[in-house]
Amino acid sequence: MQTKKNTKQTGNVLLCVLGTILIVSLIGASVLRNSTARLNASSNQVRAWKEALSAAETGGDIGFAELRMHVGSDPSTWWAGWTPSGTGHGYVSPETTFGSSNLRARTVVETCYFDASGVFHLGSNPDPNANNWYRVRSKGTAPLPNLKRTGMDDALTNDGLTHFAPIGSTAMQDITARSKGNSLLRKIDFQYDHFVATYGPNGDGLNKALITASYAPSFSRRVEQIVEPVTPFFDAAIKSATSFYGLGSAAWIDSYDSRNGPYDPTVKTNPASPYYKDSRHGSVEINSGIATIMGTIYGDVATNGGNVTGKTANVTGTIDNNVPFTLLPYQMPDTSTWAYQPLPTNVTSTKTLAPPSAGTSAAPIYYVFTSIGGALTVNPAVVSGSPVDTYVAIRVTGDISGGNAGVTVNPKVHLKIYFQGNISVKNNNLINQNPSLPNPYAGNLQFYGISPPAGTPQTINLNSGQPATLAATFYAPSADVHENGNPDFIGTVVCKSFYSNGNISWHYDRALNDEGQLLDFRIASYVEDTR
Amino acid sequence: MRLGISAKTHAFTLIEMMVAMATASAILGVTVTSSIALQRSFNSTDNYLATETQQIRIVDFLARDVRRGLSVVSSVDQQTVQLQIPKYIIQAGDPEAILNPSLIGTPRSPSRAIVSRDYNINYGAAPPSFVEYKVNGASIERWEDGVKTTIASSTDNLLPQTIDTELANTEYTTTSITFKPISVADRSGTIVYATAYLRNRRRPPP
Repeated sequence: MQTKKNTKQTGNVLLCVLGTILIVSLIGASVLRNSTARLNASSNQVRAWKEALSAAETGGDIGFAELRMHVGSDPSTWWAGWTPSGTGHGYVSPETTFGSSNLRARTVVETCYFDASGVFHLGSNPDPNANNWYRVRSKGTAPLPNLKRTGMDDALTNDGLTHFAPIGSTAMQDITARSKGNSLLRKIDFQYDHFVATYGPNGDGLNKALITASYAPSFSRRVEQIVEPVTPFFDAAIKSATSFYGLGSAAWIDSYDSRNGPYDPTVKTNPASPYYKDSRHGSVEINSGIATIMGTIYGDVATNGGNVTGKTANVTGTIDNNVPFTLLPYQMPDTSTWAYQPLPTNVTSTKTLAPPSAGTSAAPIYYVFTSIGGALTVNPAVVSGSPVDTYVAIRVTGDISGGNAGVTVNPKVHLKIYFQGNISVKNNNLINQNPSLPNPYAGNLQFYGISPPAGTPQTINLNSGQPATLAATFYAPSADVHENGNPDFIGTVVCKSFYSNGNISWHYDRALNDEGQLLDFRIASYVEDTR
Repeated sequence: MRLGISAKTHAFTLIEMMVAMATASAILGVTVTSSIALQRSFNSTDNYLATETQQIRIVDFLARDVRRGLSVVSSVDQQTVQLQIPKYIIQAGDPEAILNPSLIGTPRSPSRAIVSRDYNINYGAAPPSFVEYKVNGASIERWEDGVKTTIASSTDNLLPQTIDTELANTEYTTTSITFKPISVADRSGTIVYATAYLRNRRRPPP
């Protein structure tokens, strides 16, 4: 007997099983697909986006470190490996690849300055005595591994909206012009660098081009930092590390800006003057709690946890007792590029220096004296029969002292004196005639006290003499300063301690803000270009 | 002799039919139930991941603004955060843009002022851009000079909380964000923390 097998029943079961497997597989695939996309967005993209900022800030650090290497170093060692930026004002770093994710950083450092009105200019400061500022623009790039995809909820769709607003478009409103979801925040370069294509390499709309992204896909972030020079005479008439007493009860400290004209004693009490604001920066800063105010201060007083005594009501600005600062010992800067002159070697009586050439602010005509005990006059170099602006540096390995000891700076001379010993001279023996005797600029006679070994005192005694104008700056963080006279003082003093009881009229010149020996650099501003 | 088999004998008996239907129903029920459970699980996972993405987006938005900010203030209920950020990009309506519309969208050169014995670097005329983060229903909104951007929107009760801490010259924010997943009743285990410092020197808030 033969029985017939019903194959239809077998087929139905197979179909049911296959259908079930298909449904479950589709659900599983959907789960995997969506989970992968979510994971990609929440892990890879977030990580790479953050790492791009880390790379950009690393680029900024590279630029900042390069600038700090310039402090007191040989200019021939600067910008090693960097290339000119093409603007004539800066340099571009080599591209640095680093980290396990192969992050890339590149930095553009451009020289700039701010004029007396605070307006930004690219290029070197036209005042050769002033220090430059720098604009540091850095770009960091992080590769985005895996497939080229956005998150699930923020794909760029054909929704009639503008996702990349072009330069000049009225739709430009920072991030709001672009898409939605994560793409508002994290802008992936899938094939081309969207920033260069839309805004140009400098972000100013010029030279826009389709540039293949260095990694595809990838994130790039851009940071702009403004780097300021740390200068010795910034915004303080007197800066003392340990104690302050002064001035005389009828004295005052105010300020002005010589770039706006000669000092005018009426401005400080005339709010209608356009320069009234400049007159209220005769500030005193003390890095301790020992401060006795005697005269009138048209500015602020700052201490480090101090209790200001004396005529505190005569401080027109604020008294802030929480402003610590540090004055590091001062070292002689590098002189390897300076134009050394072997003679003379000291000043024991009246002596006049006639520099053989003009020198520059960075490479001045350089003399080394064992002491100054007589009257020294410094003349400008003469080129083609005419005196020219001349930059002179004198190192004094001993003291500047004596009844006749003094320095006269003639017009067109910019003099810096680095002294290792002490100073004891009459106020009226320090004569600054550049640009003129009635209107001298303190930045043309700068004294720098080289710090002695720890425990060894250093003193600056400015003694009474004939009433005169003393226009000079003193940066001597290890020196005890006594102003024993009552001159008309233009300039600033930075010292270890300060004492004066003379009825001095003291004027801080705000043009000194950018002047003086470059001490360091500091980041003054940070902003991210979020386009 | 050949024995013919009647076609009727191919039919299922009632018992066979009932057993088959019961078995099929059970298999179908298990399949459908599994599918629904799987779909719900997927929805929960997808929803959790999507909301977590929004959590991270909120803290990243906020951290980016804090980093470049000049001041930050969080409200008492920690639900609203107000910042000042530099006006780095020239926008339509800005004075420069009115004079020269082609400058719209380009970066602005800084200017310098001395305030409290220190430099302030400013981008554009005062005041800086005013940015506010706040909760509006199920959405987290970022307002910049009156322009709204919805940076997150969820029915899972996203709850951001930010406090700001002032130091001598800087400031930082600590943010925590939680949400209540659809699959569970509470927020435990969903918290994301973030801390961000001002890169710029802190200025007085508006």
